[in-house]
Order: sequence, then structure tokens, then C-alpha cells
Amino acid sequence: MSSGSQAILFAFQLMTLMSAVLVAFHPNILYASVALLFTFLGVACMFIFIGADFLAGAQVIVYVGGITILILFAIMLTQWMYKATLRDVRTKILLPVVACGLLVTPILLKTTRLIADLGPLGTAETMTAFSFSPKTQVIGQALLTSYVLPFEAVTILLLGALVGAVWLARPQ
Amino acid sequence: MNIISFLTSYHGYLTIGVCLFILGCICMMWRKNAIGILLGIELILNAAGINFVAFSRFRTGAIDGQLATLFVIIIAAAEAAVALAIILRFYRLKETIDSDQANLMRN
Amino acid sequence: MAETAYFAHSLQTWLGGGPLWIWGAVSAVVVIFGLALPFGGLATYAERKIAADIQDRVGPNRVGPFGILQFLADAVKMLAKEDFIPRGGDHFLFNIAPVFVVVGACATFAVLPLSKYLLGADLNIGVLYVLAISTLVSPGLLLGSWASENKWSLLGGLRAAAQIVSYEIPVALCILPIILISGTLQIGTIVELQGWNLALEGAKSPHFWNLFHNPFTLVSGFILFIAGLAETNRIPFDLPEAESELVSGFNTEFSGMRFGLFALGEFCEVFVMCAMVTALYLGGWHIPFLDIESFGVTLPTLLVALIQLTMFMIKTLLLVFVVMWLRWTLPRLRVDQLMSLCWKGLVPICLFNVLGTAVWLWVFHGRSLAQLIFQGGGH
Repeated sequence: MSSGSQAILFAFQLMTLMSAVLVAFHPNILYASVALLFTFLGVACMFIFIGADFLAGAQVIVYVGGITILILFAIMLTQWMYKATLRDVRTKILLPVVACGLLVTPILLKTTRLIADLGPLGTAETMTAFSFSPKTQVIGQALLTSYVLPFEAVTILLLGALVGAVWLARPQ
Repeated sequence: MNIISFLTSYHGYLTIGVCLFILGCICMMWRKNAIGILLGIELILNAAGINFVAFSRFRTGAIDGQLATLFVIIIAAAEAAVALAIILRFYRLKETIDSDQANLMRN
Repeated sequence: MAETAYFAHSLQTWLGGGPLWIWGAVSAVVVIFGLALPFGGLATYAERKIAADIQDRVGPNRVGPFGILQFLADAVKMLAKEDFIPRGGDHFLFNIAPVFVVVGACATFAVLPLSKYLLGADLNIGVLYVLAISTLVSPGLLLGSWASENKWSLLGGLRAAAQIVSYEIPVALCILPIILISGTLQIGTIVELQGWNLALEGAKSPHFWNLFHNPFTLVSGFILFIAGLAETNRIPFDLPEAESELVSGFNTEFSGMRFGLFALGEFCEVFVMCAMVTALYLGGWHIPFLDIESFGVTLPTLLVALIQLTMFMIKTLLLVFVVMWLRWTLPRLRVDQLMSLCWKGLVPICLFNVLGTAVWLWVFHGRSLAQLIFQGGGH
């Protein structure tokens, strides 16, 4: 990877991490949702740099154009316009941070220390030839051949979720 | 190996996945607002997606990781829709979406 | 061959040497400041002139010849206005809302097929990129309406976001038949496949405009145009910013250049929607019944590029004219009529069109009406 694209990728990763920090810690829930939007965009850019072009498009369409709008709708429908109700954090941060730290420190250590014993990374030809080729056709064929069962199951799931959400949120 | 070349490599992607996961967990535990908890869930799902795609690119070179991430995205959308419908219902019942107020079945 | 289709590569070839990234930056500047922004400005002027013509009056005619510099005067006026935020309004969100709209509108200019040699970037996921980036507009509208601290703005913003999200589905479903026909998401390839060089046989043979490929795409083309109107909040789907109902809806509290940015974003989006309909359904840069590339005389690529650019612009601007014409002709739909039109009308028709196109492609082995007529039957 050339140093120019490395710098750009690093900038997007930094944006993702900073937005995620805002999502977790900002007291105003609306600002946290906007930060979540930027996190989604950052993750989509990370997908592009890793060769998952179709996935990046799907990520933006579903997450930014769908889930973010849903979350913003829900916030606007359930909050009055008084800024006081938008502050929603607990007072004690110590317990969550300690718990997460204990859970995750072993994983982090293993991830960052794993330079030596990571296992084979595949041959150089398969990596570069496949990695940045367009993936849409491959994904499409896989969805209809090897992954047809999850594909059909997920359509039923979406139907159930659609009907369920409409029924749950119906006007009384 | 400076931080830029670390973060833009295989281990960097996994580390970012882990960091997003931690932040998602903290978000879920720390926020009282039900929608805030949903934000944490979305962060965790994104972290899983990054991990899947990183494994697909740097370990196997096959398409399975990207397909898994695609399914994660789809299911996350369905789950967010249902979760928000539940939140709206709860708001109609209790006039608030503070998760501490969801105590109808206590005692 | 795909390499030379990029704007930056073409500029590098025509204007001699230099590193590629400089020409990339130059092409970005040219497209944004030479196409998007002037179009946004001139579109406001054109809209007022067309409105005047339809309403049997004169329209702007003071500033410059025929009033053509009116948009510059408007820009100066907007820049000179007081920059205020409503009391209790949210500063950060108020400032960032127009940014979403403008970015969502202008970032799609990178993949518009202005000509075979003037594509910004012929992405493998070109169509998906356009769909994805145009979804960036709706959070901008929502946040802007919330930050205005105004009941009417909030109503308008909620309606606008609901409308945009709903009408993305007919847009995507109308693009599906084109993807079925062309077999690719690359916009440059989709346009190339709509040529007229029927001397080529087999799979490589272009099949004339996608609009006339089969009866289902004929319907899809019109539905894409209608859904695109709804995506960009134009009449007859104008309720979120209706002047008579909602006091200009979500952009009530935005004044001066912020409102200018919203209007600019909306017109750029109209251009992108019309350009998408042109590229996907109306043959993009191709001249009907003519194939410049195989004249027998090899024209210089610069000339070919200019001819193709002219053709593309003619088609797109014709569609933009129709969009503006509709604005002053049709009444606007009520919000429940709008939603039921989308979910109960357009979505079933689009699904049927996708199915119909798939069946057509299977029965006729991918051949279009033009190919069937001019290349003889028999499959």
C-alpha cells in the first residue's frame, strides 16, 4: 500500500475511533447518533481499502441511509424539545470500564502481540489477484449457490421483522 | 513500525475491531436511554463486521468473510427496526425511554 | 481501455505530462466548480425564467443580458445576510445540516458518465455508489429541521426524511432491470452497451437505448424519473418544503448562505437524478442511430469527447427542463397520497418490471427489441 493511501486510511480509521468514543461517552443522545453516522462512514471507508467494495456500498445504504434515519426518528418522536431530557448517562463510569477492560485486555494483548504466530497468510498471488478485484459478481454467485439457505432464511427474517415492527408501532 | 503502518495492517484492523467492541460494550452499559443502548449494539455489530472482513482479506482470501458481514448488516437492520418499534411502544406506555423505568415486572 | 476512461487520464493525455494526482485534483475542481456549482446557480435562474414563461410573465431580466447573471446577484445577497441561529437552536447541528445535503449531492458527480473519456472514476460499483451517497442527504434534512427549534420545521423534516427513505426503494428497483440487462454495476460499461453498432453480433452487440430494450424497461424508466422527483423533493412531491403549507418546511429557519446551500444541494441532486436516468435509460452519451467510433475516419479523442459531452448534456438538460416544467404545472400531493403512491403503487409495479425483464431476458436470450427487429429473429 502506498504511503498516500496509508495516510488516508489512517485518517479514516482515526475518524472512526474518535466518533465511536463520542458515541459511547457524549451525554447528548442526538450528538451520539450523529457520531454513530460518522462511525458507519468510517467503517465503510475501511471496507473499501480492504477490497470489499460491494460491502462498503451496502454498509452506507443500510446503516447510514436506513438505521441512522430510524434512530433519529425514534429520538425525535420520544424526546421533547427540551435539551435536559437528552442527557442520559449514568453517574458511575468505573464499573463498565473496569469490566470491559478485564474482558478485553487478553484479546488486545493477543492481537497486538501476534506478529510471530499468526499462521499462513496465503500465497502472494492469491492475495493480490483476488483482494482488489470487483466482488459484486462473486458475492452474487455465492449468495445463490453456497449461501442460498442463509439468503432465504434472512428474507423470512426480514419479512417477520417488517411485519412485527409495523404491528408493534401501530397507532392505538 | 510506527502507528500508521500498524493500524493500516492486518493487526491494526483487528485492533480497531476490538476497540469498537469495547466502546460498544461501554456504551451499552453506561447509557440509560434505550436508544443509547441500541447505539452500543450497532457499534458491536460493526466491530464484528470489520473483524470478518479483515479475516477474509488477510487470512483466507475467500469471500466468506464478506458474505458473513453482509448478513450481519442485514440482520442488524432488521433488529434495529424491531428494537425501535419496541422503544416506541414503551414510550407510549411510560412516557419515557429511560431503561431504569422499565421495571413493571419487578417484585 | 478502462484506464483511459478516467477524466484525470484524459486530461493528462491532452494537456501533456505531469503526475496523475495533479490532474485528478484538477478534474475534481473542474467538475465541482465548473459543472456542479454553476449548474446549481444557473438552475435557479432557469427555473425562474421557465416559471415566468409558463405563467406568462417575463422573469428576471435586469442583471446582465436576459437576466442571466441573476444567480450571482442572489449569491451576493445571500452572503451578505445576517448569520443567525434561532434561539435555543443547536449550533453544531444547524451548521452541519447543509453540509450533508451538499456533500450528498456533489459527491455523486464523480461517477457521472459525461463522456467516454470524461468519467471521473468508473467505479466497479458505480450505481451502488450513487445510491449510497444520495442517502447522505436525509440525515442532513432531519438534523437541520431538529436544530431549527421550530414545530413546522420538525414536521417538514420528518416528512422529508420519510419521503426520501421510502422512495429510495422504487429507485433501486428501477435500476435493477438495467443491471440485469447490462450485467454490471459500472456506469461507463452500462452506457457503452447502449450504442448502435449493430454490426457486432453476439453478446458484445450493443442493444440501443435501455428505455426501448423491452416494454418493462419502458415503464421502469418513467418510474425512475418519478421516484427521482420524489427523492429530490420536487413537485409534485414537494410537501416537505411546501411554501403554502409549511412555511417552507424544514428550511424555514435557514437564511442566507445556509439556505443557498440547501437550494444548491437540491438542484445538484436534480441534475444527478436526471443524469442517472440519461445514463441508465436514455443511452448516455450516444447519438441515436449513429456510432461515431466506427465512422471509418478516426476522430481525435478530444473531439469525440466533446461531441459525447454535448449529447449527454442535451439529454440531461432536457430532463431537467421537464422537471422544472412539472414544478409549475402539477399540484402537489398530500403526504398520505405520496406515501400510498410509493408503497401501494410504485413498488408493486417496479417488482413486476424486474420480474418481467428477467423473463424477457430468459425468453429472448438477452436480446433487446432493437436487436430482435434489426438483427433478425431466430434464437
